[in-house]
Amino acid sequence: MFALKVARRYLTSNPAQTVLLVTGVALGVTVFIFITALIEGLAIRLTDQVTANSAHVTLEPPTRLAEILTGDEAVRTEGVALVSTFQRRQIRAWRSTAELITRQPGVSALSPQISGNAFLVKGEAVQPVSVTGLEPEGLDAITPITPNLVSGQGALGADGLLIGTQLAEDLGLTAGQPVLLRTDRGGERLLTVRGVFKTGLQSLDSRVAFLSLQTARPLFDLPEGVTNIEIKLDDPGRAREVADFLAGATGLRATPWQEKNLNLEDALEAQGRTGTLIQLFSLISIVIGVASALVLSAYRRRSEVGIMRAFGISGGFIVAVFMLQGLLIGLAGGLLGCVSGYGLCTFLASLTDAEGNAPLPIAPERGGYVAVLILTTLGAVLASAFPARSASRIDPLEAIQQ
Amino acid sequence: MSRVLQARGVVMTFRNGDEETEVLRGIDVALETGELVALVGASGSGKSTLLSILGLLLRPTAGEIEIAGQRVEGMSERARAAFRNQRLGFVFQFHHLLPDFSAMENVAFPAAAPAGGISPEMRRRALSLLDRVGLADRADFPATRLSGGQKQRVAIARALMNKPDLVIADEPTGNLDLRSAGQVLDLMEEVNREDGGTFLICTHDEHVAARCSRRIQLVDGRVQAQDEGSDHRD
Repeated sequence: MFALKVARRYLTSNPAQTVLLVTGVALGVTVFIFITALIEGLAIRLTDQVTANSAHVTLEPPTRLAEILTGDEAVRTEGVALVSTFQRRQIRAWRSTAELITRQPGVSALSPQISGNAFLVKGEAVQPVSVTGLEPEGLDAITPITPNLVSGQGALGADGLLIGTQLAEDLGLTAGQPVLLRTDRGGERLLTVRGVFKTGLQSLDSRVAFLSLQTARPLFDLPEGVTNIEIKLDDPGRAREVADFLAGATGLRATPWQEKNLNLEDALEAQGRTGTLIQLFSLISIVIGVASALVLSAYRRRSEVGIMRAFGISGGFIVAVFMLQGLLIGLAGGLLGCVSGYGLCTFLASLTDAEGNAPLPIAPERGGYVAVLILTTLGAVLASAFPARSASRIDPLEAIQQ
Repeated sequence: MSRVLQARGVVMTFRNGDEETEVLRGIDVALETGELVALVGASGSGKSTLLSILGLLLRPTAGEIEIAGQRVEGMSERARAAFRNQRLGFVFQFHHLLPDFSAMENVAFPAAAPAGGISPEMRRRALSLLDRVGLADRADFPATRLSGGQKQRVAIARALMNKPDLVIADEPTGNLDLRSAGQVLDLMEEVNREDGGTFLICTHDEHVAARCSRRIQLVDGRVQAQDEGSDHRD
């Protein structure tokens, strides 16, 4: 393609200017990648921190909301459906539901649970607790308890109980000591503290007690069902999608983790919008840089373009020459920027503070490389459209007479 | 001999606000194949304007123009550009070579750009034209490394690349020293004599006009006389 040869020749005829131009584009792309990787990394870190000790999707029985019923228009009847409170809210068919969930792609773990409120009584000390009854083999499925044990062991057994350090301190308990559990269903049983854990989360360490599902059943008067099923996913970002599917498939209420953390979601969205603005400004600066360089080039080459037009070279050829210059600059700058952006992000991600933590929550693999390469190349081609159009409209007579 | 160019009643009026300036006032000219014609006249006589109109770089206010048997005044801009590319050759006072290309690439450019590349056949013709203008050994030289006279000879080769019916030259020796100007004139005469190329040369130089087979004298936008030249070729 002869236009490509001409475009290449124009770019290589002034190597210093071309190198500066490509470097400018590459810098813009590097900024774009850095911001993208930083925002993605921050979102991942925050999401991990929030969901590390909790479920990505929670399945519960449907709510008991009263519903207004409207009848046939001709009959004009109206009434209110009252939901029965004579039955316990529970998931009776939890085994088949668990099987359905396990078959879903992207589900990494699930935990059927009996959750309820109770008091722990030790002598005159009484503390309200949130009790979670779960299958002992799935103790760490949702919240990593065993790795966070500071004393005792994770084997729940028939009368075992695991509590957090804060709760243990409030009640003066240590591993191996007995404690009375009194539930809001009237159940009461003397249990043994098997282990004490410390997750670092105040809500868990001071308010939650874990026991086995079988131990929980009589205490909460629930011989068959479970109160909720907690689910972990490989990708927390798919929680809404999975929740929607499970709600439709089971008729249960499925709540993704985002709905329990609306403030976090708002913050992540605001952060994402800020990032988008910075990315947009990076792209605009690239487009302006390429456009101004090509406008100057078109002006400097007026007489050359004029003579081409005099020879009857088509305006389309001139447009192609200038737009191909934009394409080459965008592609070269984009590729160089991707390499330097990845290098910068990888370097920053490798930095650690005294405690071995990364000071910048950067995700080099989430730099949006393909997107920025396409956007930069398109932007540079778009930026060359104006100078290309103006060059193709140069009056040959005027240019030659200059 | 066949007629290459026929212009009848060509009028050109430039408008500047309410003021109108009539630069050409009904020009009738004709060129036969193989002629070497000088277009002469004082400054402001309208010869450059007429040359631009006959080269399809400017549209006349009125008049009919036929080049190589085709009426051109009604053509679209795209068709005029294609016609310029295929049927006309241009040599300007300044060579206007493309500085980033070699002598051979400059010569081949008018054929290569529409075709999308320099084919082996184009390369052969460009090299043969460079040989014709005595610059075969400079084919790969960048245009910027050629002397003024060499550049103008490359410009003549470029004008001949697409085998035009008519070569329009605007003061082709105006920027050259005497020796280079003589070489360029010799070259045009040679191409005219040996290949039957038709040239219309706009000049204010009496020596150049004297070497043409015919001269068209413009005075105040009108053809005053069409004389046979002194014809130094014999």
